[in-house]
Amino acid sequence: MSLLRVRDLQVSFASDRGLVRAVQGISFDLEQGEILGVVGESGSGKSVASLAIMRMLPQPPARIVASELSLAGEDLLGMSEARARELRGAQMAMVFQDPMRSLNPVLTIGRQLVEVLQRHLGLNRRQALSRAVELLEMVGIPQASRRLSAYPHQFSGGMRQRVMIAIALSCRPKLLIADEATTALDVTIQAQIVELVKRLAHELDIAVIWISHDLGVVAGMCDRVNVIYAGRIVETAKVDDLFHRPSHGYTLGLLGSTPRVDETEQDRLTPIEGLPPDLIDPPTLCPFLPRCKVAVAECRQSMPPTRAFGPLHQASCFAELA
Amino acid sequence: MSTLRLAAGQFLRNRAAAAGLICLLLLCIVVTLAPVIAPYNPIQINLGAKLQPPSATHWFGTDYFGRDVFSRTLYGGQLSLSVGLAVVLFAFTLGVPIGLVSGFVGGRLDNLVMRLTDAFLTFPPLLLAVAIVGLLGPDMRNVVLALGLVQAPVLARMVRGSTLSAREEVYVRAARALGASPLRIMFSEILRNIMSPIVVQLTIVFSAAVVAEASLSFLGLGAPPPQPSWGRDLSDARNYLSDAPWMFLSPSAAIMLCVLSINFVGDGLRDALDPRSWRVRAKPVPPAAPVAVLSEDLA
Amino acid sequence: MIRVLAVRLAQIPLVLVVVSLTIFAVTRATPGDPVQIMLGMQSSPEAAAAMRREFNLDRPLPVQYVLWVDKLLHGNLGESIRLNQSVTSLLAQTLPVSLKLASAAMLFALCLALPLGVIAALWRNTWLDYLCTGYTVASFAIPNFALALILIYVFSMKLDWLPITGIGSSHSTGLWGAISPFIVPAIALGTLQTAVLTRLLRASMIDVLGQEYVRVARAKGLLPRTVILVHALKNALIPFVTMATIQFGYMIGIQVTIEYIFAIPGVGSAVLNAVINRDFPVIQGFTLVIAAFFLCANIVADLLYAVLDPRIRY
Repeated sequence: MSLLRVRDLQVSFASDRGLVRAVQGISFDLEQGEILGVVGESGSGKSVASLAIMRMLPQPPARIVASELSLAGEDLLGMSEARARELRGAQMAMVFQDPMRSLNPVLTIGRQLVEVLQRHLGLNRRQALSRAVELLEMVGIPQASRRLSAYPHQFSGGMRQRVMIAIALSCRPKLLIADEATTALDVTIQAQIVELVKRLAHELDIAVIWISHDLGVVAGMCDRVNVIYAGRIVETAKVDDLFHRPSHGYTLGLLGSTPRVDETEQDRLTPIEGLPPDLIDPPTLCPFLPRCKVAVAECRQSMPPTRAFGPLHQASCFAELA
Repeated sequence: MSTLRLAAGQFLRNRAAAAGLICLLLLCIVVTLAPVIAPYNPIQINLGAKLQPPSATHWFGTDYFGRDVFSRTLYGGQLSLSVGLAVVLFAFTLGVPIGLVSGFVGGRLDNLVMRLTDAFLTFPPLLLAVAIVGLLGPDMRNVVLALGLVQAPVLARMVRGSTLSAREEVYVRAARALGASPLRIMFSEILRNIMSPIVVQLTIVFSAAVVAEASLSFLGLGAPPPQPSWGRDLSDARNYLSDAPWMFLSPSAAIMLCVLSINFVGDGLRDALDPRSWRVRAKPVPPAAPVAVLSEDLA
Repeated sequence: MIRVLAVRLAQIPLVLVVVSLTIFAVTRATPGDPVQIMLGMQSSPEAAAAMRREFNLDRPLPVQYVLWVDKLLHGNLGESIRLNQSVTSLLAQTLPVSLKLASAAMLFALCLALPLGVIAALWRNTWLDYLCTGYTVASFAIPNFALALILIYVFSMKLDWLPITGIGSSHSTGLWGAISPFIVPAIALGTLQTAVLTRLLRASMIDVLGQEYVRVARAKGLLPRTVILVHALKNALIPFVTMATIQFGYMIGIQVTIEYIFAIPGVGSAVLNAVINRDFPVIQGFTLVIAAFFLCANIVADLLYAVLDPRIRY
């Protein structure tokens, strides 16, 4: 039984201009201990889907519908807000993009760690403080016990993100969602954080959803990848399959526009021209059609079905790219 | 569509602002036409009719001297609104150039101006006004002078701040490159671009001036009798609070109406002139439908 | 933090110099001879001249200014021309009364503004918000003396719940007797501050509630009251506290109308009387002290900011 089961998740928002269909029927499973990458550009719906899973989208203005959305067998969509609050931070945790703003500037690091432990694990202050020290050491923060009384502005960006990871993992959640967690960091720091998360995920047997638009990072850490475009999963595959046998025009475009270490100066980056479609008035054909370089005749006639291209490898594309 | 028309549209769609504007215009009209509208002479004493409650003959009743409260309120409005306007003009003429020059030129001049405005701003405004009017004598010109002097530094500070940011804008560099004189840059280019916050601030100055004038009159430092004044009428009403509540209700309501409408207009202007708070007229939202449905179904 | 304090303290002398010059200039540039007012029209020329000499009014203006500043630096604010006491002693009599009134008004304002501001922010754009902010709009529109009259009419005359005199007199008995005369003036004086602070807190809370760290606090599964009170309010209170401090400093000057209505023997009344009677030393001394008080309030506000916001401290 999968840890996280998502079937036909749809999220829409009421706005001045109409209904924005941010997520249009996403389905996937996540196993315990698996690292799933989610790749897509800004506005593709990847963050919205995660927030919906975490029950952090207030409804209204959002509307969340799914035929199934469950964590460890428990229905996430139907549960009360009080129950969702118990799960958040304890069973499912999230790390966000901007470490510079994620920590409360007027509270100490120790306080922000301890409050989660006290809230979910019922530890008393002393227990919580010593556990907090362990957590900081786990994420590689030196002089952990002294750092507890420090304030966020005294930490660098990379250190702050480590603290966020410590907070997220403090109660041994089953699921960790990292939404562009390294996008705002230097490349070298990025690598450290990625290694850290990978190691901890395997040590603590945590399932991770790693959201990124950076294919390089995804290639280095994920087991499987979902490619999202315009609110739908257009391709899903094991990471090697995705990079060696991309089966969707968008994936192909993404790979073509990613700089590679083994390229020579003569090879050029091919950007994807055009803009993503309007989510208020979603297209009835393949959403990527206007920008696709490998479109075939059928693409202009109907929406492509989801086809299998190998074990755990599916894509919604008419073209035969392999 | 020009920005001004877009802003005007935003303003008028803001119900409070539109109501405030209508109210204010009505007030101005009514007050200006006081000689025509007022049923009685506001300063005519008629001791035989003193302290009468509102009735058909005296809509708002009479005061201790038998004067018609409604007429007095109308004429008092003339005083308050004209003082307000005069103070606005004074503060504008004094504060804006100082702020512009100080912000544009910078350096030692700016420092000096800052220190001077600091000094003025350390006085609670009412006290300063009391001191000035009290010492110079109760005269309309002194009242306007005092209130204007109190408001001008605030305006100057604000204009200086806006000028400092505007100074770095491209259009200033362009004007300089075209050979425009500093004077022209300041008073033509920059001023034109920072008018919005100035206008909003001027509404605040106006309402503050109306209240301050009433306060001064209340304390006996405003226009001398027999000039009708909302503040002095309130002061007179003090002694007859339980006998004749209409004496204080009428001027209070008038002040409140005046200040409220000016404030609404000011708020509306602030929102209208800031594109970030512009609201687009909302389209009706279709109900959510399951996925894999053609978009035609949603219409 | 010491540096913050030092910088601000260093600015005081300069501002006070300018302030003292301004006060001096304004008071002396006025018609009206205090000696004549004091002694009346029938005074003999010798008596008038003697009085002028006593108060240095016969010396040239710049000399008068220097003499005044000299006395100031020795802690001597001068002698009242009208009343038979030193300015300092008059100040000692009136300042505590004014401070009590200002404190009462500020207490009222804080007790109302805190819950109203938070509620308005949490339920923004609902009827609850409009109720809270609507009240602030009305508060801005009504001058405090008009409000005072209305309150007097309702609470003292019609309902007879609250007294309107008795501040500064010694025949009030018990706790209620000590507090009750302050209630109506405090409400009249504090209503405007309530409005300002409510609006500020509302805006500040709305801003803070939209911050990333609040979203993170929710993601941690913390209880709503923890998120609001600990994470959000602590941040939102910083500008609130500094504004309240500055407002307190300002209040001493604003309350002159209230003191006038309720016959409260405070600083405002003293200045008003001094102005009417051309009592220059009192006007000069009091305005200087009020300005200095306001400056101090500003400095305290800066210090509080440093205390509340660790980013400034370290």
